[in-house]
Amino acid sequence: MSEAFASVVLALADDELVLGHRHSEWTGWAPHIEEDVAFSSIAQDEIGHAGNLYTLIARRTETDADALALGRAKAHYRHATLCERPNRDWAYTLARHWMYDTADDVRLEALQGTADPELAALVTKMRREERYHLLHADAWLRRVSQGPVEGRTRLIEALHETFADAVGLFEPLEHEEMAVKEGWLPVPSDELRTRFMARASAALDELGLPTDIHTRVAEQAEFVASSSGDLIADDEPAAEGVTPDATAGGRAGRHTGDFDQLWDDMTFTYRNHPGATW
Amino acid sequence: MDVYEVFRRAGHKDPYEHCGAVIAPDPEMALMMAKECFVRRREGQHLWVVRRTAIHSFKDESLLDIAADKSYRFASAYRDVVSKREKARTRAAQIEDGTGE
Repeated sequence: MSEAFASVVLALADDELVLGHRHSEWTGWAPHIEEDVAFSSIAQDEIGHAGNLYTLIARRTETDADALALGRAKAHYRHATLCERPNRDWAYTLARHWMYDTADDVRLEALQGTADPELAALVTKMRREERYHLLHADAWLRRVSQGPVEGRTRLIEALHETFADAVGLFEPLEHEEMAVKEGWLPVPSDELRTRFMARASAALDELGLPTDIHTRVAEQAEFVASSSGDLIADDEPAAEGVTPDATAGGRAGRHTGDFDQLWDDMTFTYRNHPGATW
Repeated sequence: MDVYEVFRRAGHKDPYEHCGAVIAPDPEMALMMAKECFVRRREGQHLWVVRRTAIHSFKDESLLDIAADKSYRFASAYRDVVSKREKARTRAAQIEDGTGE
């Protein structure tokens, strides 16, 4: 199996697993019981997608999905930082849910054209569930954005932060050039990012929500989204010499302390009971 | 005139089930019509009418299709938990009385 192919699948799988895990932390705590069930289902969907993607890789590398999902060292996970952030409040969780699923839709739409037929079929299946995630996220975002001032204020703050982090979903993948050349990734990450920025900005604009973002990439440089959807350096000197590698975070296995806690929880049973089945 | 969807149930422990629709100018008249159209032969003891415009559905009902494996939402997926628990109990007892590891 091509390393570049594995890189495309693992980045996607790790995003879904880690975000699914965060979502699942709401189980029992969501604002009301019906939403608790709905959001828990979304968490299960995301983890289910991760499971399918890990299985795809596992079958070709003679390992198993659990080993990939739960048996890797932290630095081997390739999810974007957005996915590992703690849930904080419901506004933050919603903003992230919306950003992630909007970005995921852009990415999955492109991946339906991947050169690997099995991955293409899986992505098509995933998108059938992701449609509901998008509707759910949109419905909530619209309500909170038009609701009382406290919720709106919290949401706006959360959108600023999550929009910045969402850009990290489109950091170049490991072996990105090869993945594009071999057709596993039909659209390069920077083009996907441009599409995402345009789509998210237009949607937020329509809701009267702010679309300007200030993002700190790998704590090294400030970027601002331009109207074209491209990132432009906010601060010229700081941005100079920033290469794609230097700006890469999650996709290069560089995670924040938030992932330490998440990984400890998520892999606890697997680490303490080798060979356990569930 | 509006369309009212009619629901009836046989007894107070049964669920309301949709049985048809009537056209009426208001809820009161809808009930008058529905009684004779749908419970004239003792088909039910309770009757609801709901203005059709008050009923909401997904525009695209394929959203309700289950796309992926959801076996974990069914009790049957956890059948082996009983035997696993038994095994665990036996092992715990063995460890306690010193016959296990």
